[in-house]
Amino acid sequence: MNDAGNWTKLGASIIKEARLIVRDREALVILFVMPLAFVLIMSLAMQDAFREKSGVFTVAILDNDKGAVGQSVIVAFSSAGYMKTTVFEGAHTEADVKKEINSGAFKFGVIIPEGATTLAKARVQRQLRFAKGEASSGVNVRLISDPAMRVDHRNLVAASLSRALAGVENRLLWEQFAALAGMKITPEREKEIRELLAANRPFEEVKPEDAAGAGVNAPMPTSVQQSVPAWSLFAMFFIVIPLSVTFIKERQLGALTRLKTTPVPPLVVMAGKAIPYFIINQLQIALMLAVGFFVVPLLGAEALSAGNSPVGIALLTVSASLAAVGFGLMTAMFCKTTEQSTTFGGTSVIVFAALGGIMVPKFLMPQFMQSLSIISPLSWGLDGFLDIFVRGGAVRDILPEAAGLSFFGLICMGIAAWRFGLKPR
Amino acid sequence: MNDYIIEARGLYKTYHGEEQAAVDGIDLTVRKGSFFGLLGPNGAGKTTTLAMLTGLLEPDDGLLRVAGFDVRTALDEVKRRIGLVPQEISLYPSLTARENLAYFGMMQGLSGERLNGRIGHCLEFARLNDLAMRRVETFSGGMKRRLSLAIGLIHEPLLLFLDEPTVGVDPASRLFIYENLKAMNSNGMTIVYTSHYMEEVQALCDEAAIMDSGRVIAKGPMSALLSRRGRGVIRIQTESVPSEALRLAIESLPDVQSAVIKNGLLTIETSDPEAAIEAVMGLLREKNVKLMSISHGAADLEALFLSLTGTHLRD
Repeated sequence: MNDAGNWTKLGASIIKEARLIVRDREALVILFVMPLAFVLIMSLAMQDAFREKSGVFTVAILDNDKGAVGQSVIVAFSSAGYMKTTVFEGAHTEADVKKEINSGAFKFGVIIPEGATTLAKARVQRQLRFAKGEASSGVNVRLISDPAMRVDHRNLVAASLSRALAGVENRLLWEQFAALAGMKITPEREKEIRELLAANRPFEEVKPEDAAGAGVNAPMPTSVQQSVPAWSLFAMFFIVIPLSVTFIKERQLGALTRLKTTPVPPLVVMAGKAIPYFIINQLQIALMLAVGFFVVPLLGAEALSAGNSPVGIALLTVSASLAAVGFGLMTAMFCKTTEQSTTFGGTSVIVFAALGGIMVPKFLMPQFMQSLSIISPLSWGLDGFLDIFVRGGAVRDILPEAAGLSFFGLICMGIAAWRFGLKPR
Repeated sequence: MNDYIIEARGLYKTYHGEEQAAVDGIDLTVRKGSFFGLLGPNGAGKTTTLAMLTGLLEPDDGLLRVAGFDVRTALDEVKRRIGLVPQEISLYPSLTARENLAYFGMMQGLSGERLNGRIGHCLEFARLNDLAMRRVETFSGGMKRRLSLAIGLIHEPLLLFLDEPTVGVDPASRLFIYENLKAMNSNGMTIVYTSHYMEEVQALCDEAAIMDSGRVIAKGPMSALLSRRGRGVIRIQTESVPSEALRLAIESLPDVQSAVIKNGLLTIETSDPEAAIEAVMGLLREKNVKLMSISHGAADLEALFLSLTGTHLRD
């Protein structure tokens, strides 16, 4: 653009395009209202699902025992990172616990029966064949769960409970052996045994790892951290529809033909189209972030935690916008009718979104689908945002995603420019 | 000093994947200040020629100079001197009349006082002063056409191309377009006009070229083109569709120059209408063909077109 007049022409083109967009109510709904609704709905609707995935199970413990068994379960559950325990004290009953679970306040309830410690000791003494009196059945510590809980999550908590009870059993056996050896079991001695056992466990705590090496304790997004960038990216790429439709309409109405008989370089025509949509993309992400920060908390979900790299967010936004605008321009150049561009543009963005973890978070997908998501530019963008929001990433951490998006956008723009040049001048 | 504003020599264009040339080596010249009609049936190559003349399409071969500049090497210079009024409305419906004029004016390189002055002049010209701030989507077809024409004039071109400018236009707007085009031509603007309306071209243009199958099959001043085909046209409708034998028999009559059957109607060109009518009536009686109607008129472009291409322009 060596001619100063071309800058004026570019400015006029941008203003013209902005007027066309602002006066197209349907386009504004698609670009702003739709993603806004998605961010709000999905942030609120997916709260529990994300909480479960991140291992925060709420557990109510009704300790009717007030002895070693109850204490051991409370200590074991409280020290497990994936459970948030609340001990019901006072005059609570099993019915109260069930009521709390049914109301959604808790996912699990543990009922420790009265006299559990005494009965457990009696059972251990019977194992060692020096118990006296009638035989009795084992102590029945019960686990009650929300009916909607997944089986694997139920099994996880049940296993944790069994493990805690096995620890109690182990300790009681120790105490009985000590008693057999003539040691007097005082509270101090009990504490000593407990510490001895804890300090000298023969096996290390098992920490599950996944094949990728991240481990199940890798940080997970909240529903807001997932929804805000996911649906923002979706909306950014959805500009493919209004962008291509306005371009095709210009062609159909003959305005583009008239424009091509004016001394305007094709680059100015394309830039005049691209820049307003680029600006719209920046407004979209700003609006969605604002909704995540300020509106979502008003509706009961937690506020968006967006990490500490505003420069990284800006870089990702710019590169995602390059990709979206480039894809839109390319679609406009290859589609002949608005029906074609709406169908192709809409479908391709939805497929990209489905593959890219926008609609279904990637961590819920099977490995095969997770591998396939690499073909979606929305997936690159989302990974970049999650790197910043969830994993505390900085600019250097999102450079691969930003570079991929920018490269994709520039390739699309190159193809569009080539195609534009092939059409009648 | 060159008198021609358009000079095309051996202009050739074939579209990708097509075997037949869309424009097959045409020679065409248009004098400065003339009102030039470009005619042809669908597929004749008229649109492709217009696209090359306006710089929308690059010729595969041949020489093309418009407004004194080679289209290949000085396209922007050509574009600054030409205006196009496409067949489509070519406006932005959601912009106002003023915004449309301003946008295309700026694309032509106008700005500041000159742009504002030209916008005012064009609104006045299109009689849309009072509606300048109204969106084009609310305009009637005639108002849109007037605005479209005004946009083609925003930068005061030397040469104006009009592609079917009166399609879908009400009689008042059509008259407006005729009168203004004539006035602009009188003031020195060269106009290249394509239309399916033969009477329009005949009434407005002082020169014309007729294209068919990618070639120019007739060209020259309008008066010369019309005199070339004799003085009159006779149209005959018979009870049944005339046979080829009857057409040949009529064509062999001494005062008949040509006879064409189209849509069941027999069109005869003649240099002596009275003698030809008498001879044709005698032949019909002799062949026992029942006559339904007969009409006679002066030789016109429609008849010329029909005799040259074997088709009506509006087919």
